[in-house]
Amino acid sequence: MLKRAQWLDLARKLDWKPTYVSDAEVFPIAAAGRPWLPYEEWAGWDEPFRTTYAEYVATQHEKETSLWAVKESAGRPEDFAKLPREWKSAVKLHAATLPLAEFAAVIGNLRAARFGRTSAWRTTALFGALDEFRHTQIPLLLMNDLVASDPQLDWTHRLYHSNNWVAIAARHLVDELLAGANPIEFAVAANFVFETGFTNLQFVGLTALARQVGDRMLEKMLGSIQSDEARHAQIGEPVLRTLVRHDRDYAQYLCDKWFWRSWLLFAVVTGFAMDYLTPLPARTSSFKEFVQEWVVDQYLRMLEDVGLSRPWYWPAFEVALNHYHHMVYASAYTYRASVWFDLVVPGPDERRWLRQHYPGSWDELDPIWERISARWQKTDPGNDFGVHGTAIIGFCNLCQLVLCNGTPTKNSATTMQKDGQKYIFCSEPCRWIFEQEQTRYAEHKDIVKRVLAGEAPANLVAMLRNYFGLSFETWGKDAYGGNYPWATRTP
Amino acid sequence: MIPLYGFLQGDSMGLLIMAREDDTLGRLAEKLQSAADVRVAPLKRPRVMVAGRLLDLEMTVAAAGLTALDKFEVGGTR
Repeated sequence: MLKRAQWLDLARKLDWKPTYVSDAEVFPIAAAGRPWLPYEEWAGWDEPFRTTYAEYVATQHEKETSLWAVKESAGRPEDFAKLPREWKSAVKLHAATLPLAEFAAVIGNLRAARFGRTSAWRTTALFGALDEFRHTQIPLLLMNDLVASDPQLDWTHRLYHSNNWVAIAARHLVDELLAGANPIEFAVAANFVFETGFTNLQFVGLTALARQVGDRMLEKMLGSIQSDEARHAQIGEPVLRTLVRHDRDYAQYLCDKWFWRSWLLFAVVTGFAMDYLTPLPARTSSFKEFVQEWVVDQYLRMLEDVGLSRPWYWPAFEVALNHYHHMVYASAYTYRASVWFDLVVPGPDERRWLRQHYPGSWDELDPIWERISARWQKTDPGNDFGVHGTAIIGFCNLCQLVLCNGTPTKNSATTMQKDGQKYIFCSEPCRWIFEQEQTRYAEHKDIVKRVLAGEAPANLVAMLRNYFGLSFETWGKDAYGGNYPWATRTP
Repeated sequence: MIPLYGFLQGDSMGLLIMAREDDTLGRLAEKLQSAADVRVAPLKRPRVMVAGRLLDLEMTVAAAGLTALDKFEVGGTR
């Protein structure tokens, strides 16, 4: 009997030269991606995991068994109810943004499993598709059992089917990054930038915080998913190396575009969780420190290693690292009824911690919380709309997120007029991405343009109920009803 | 009404402000400050900037050349 090492490559790299049709017909450029290169240029493609299907199934079975055991022992409604209120919001935010994005990644992986240019790439992408299907099912299953006791968790499945502003932004990203990308862009954008560059932040950093909080279910779920990500993310680097050899500018463009777009998503999802929704005693590092360790250092090293430069907008990224998620969180807090999870005001101790971890930027942000705290002190507990915005919010025409980039002193929003249309962007990188692929993005309407076109209501409550699909039971409130120990109210 | 993007110094976000053509820029600044009041304390002496130019608060929205979906900024001292 042949040993594994003797047959593995025959099974993984079963490529041949087609004779009835050309390579270009089997792998048309529209489906396989550009640059279109002869097979020989891809023939050396390899990745370090070199898994077989039998090994894949055995490993996944073991992981499912172990996950199920934790679900049975720590995933019941009474376990979830015991978690700190703000942490439950971190779970709801993560759980809603993750599973259907993962489902879109099934499509991206399956496209690579058909149109990737070597058999080994296609095999690994097929495992990737199976992984992503698993990552769709796990949070849907785990949260489904909890919906009866907490209706906000229904948004685990509902978010991407709604016109909620977070869903519009998330779909704008996910449709392009995961569902629509050709295998080359998918490998660079999803496997290299998004997964190798960023997902450690969520799956390693947030896992550590879940452990600190005592949320065994989320810790296990994230850990189980992370080990899959680490494997299929390996598709990215060998594709990128080939791309760099043949079209360095395009490789640099894809990395820069997707680093910025991924950053904005993670700043919201993970930034909120790490710096605001994790109770203070459980925090180990700030979001910025996690990003510096898990993203910046590693990503820049990887870029250099494949022969690319750091993104041209690095100074803007460094400003954003100190400000962006704080500005989005403060904005979201004052429009919390527009999301499906509750938010908290950072109290004096939290603000001291934030000042310590963001010495260069917190002084500009603190007055906003001073103002919000003072407003709560004059407002009855539970009267959320007494401490809430009502004006229509501005959204970026590229990322579809709130115009929160730059600093409170100088917002970096920038406008553009083109072909009789006006556009606004939260930042120069978003504007730059839009300009590179204008035909792709120009027709997409942000919420403001939908309101002006009469497609969405301008009234806040009508917007929340009829357009975002929220109700009083599900829309976000202050997690403590504004009833904080530090909020002394004058009778 | 003319929808304009307003950015108030000290705020975390940009807001859409509905202006009238004959609103003065002083009134426009008031509308933005009122919309952002939950997050930002009012300015003592607001200044309005359009396309990098500091404009007279008595000037109207129309005279300032502001049309739908243009951007203005309000700064000053607190």
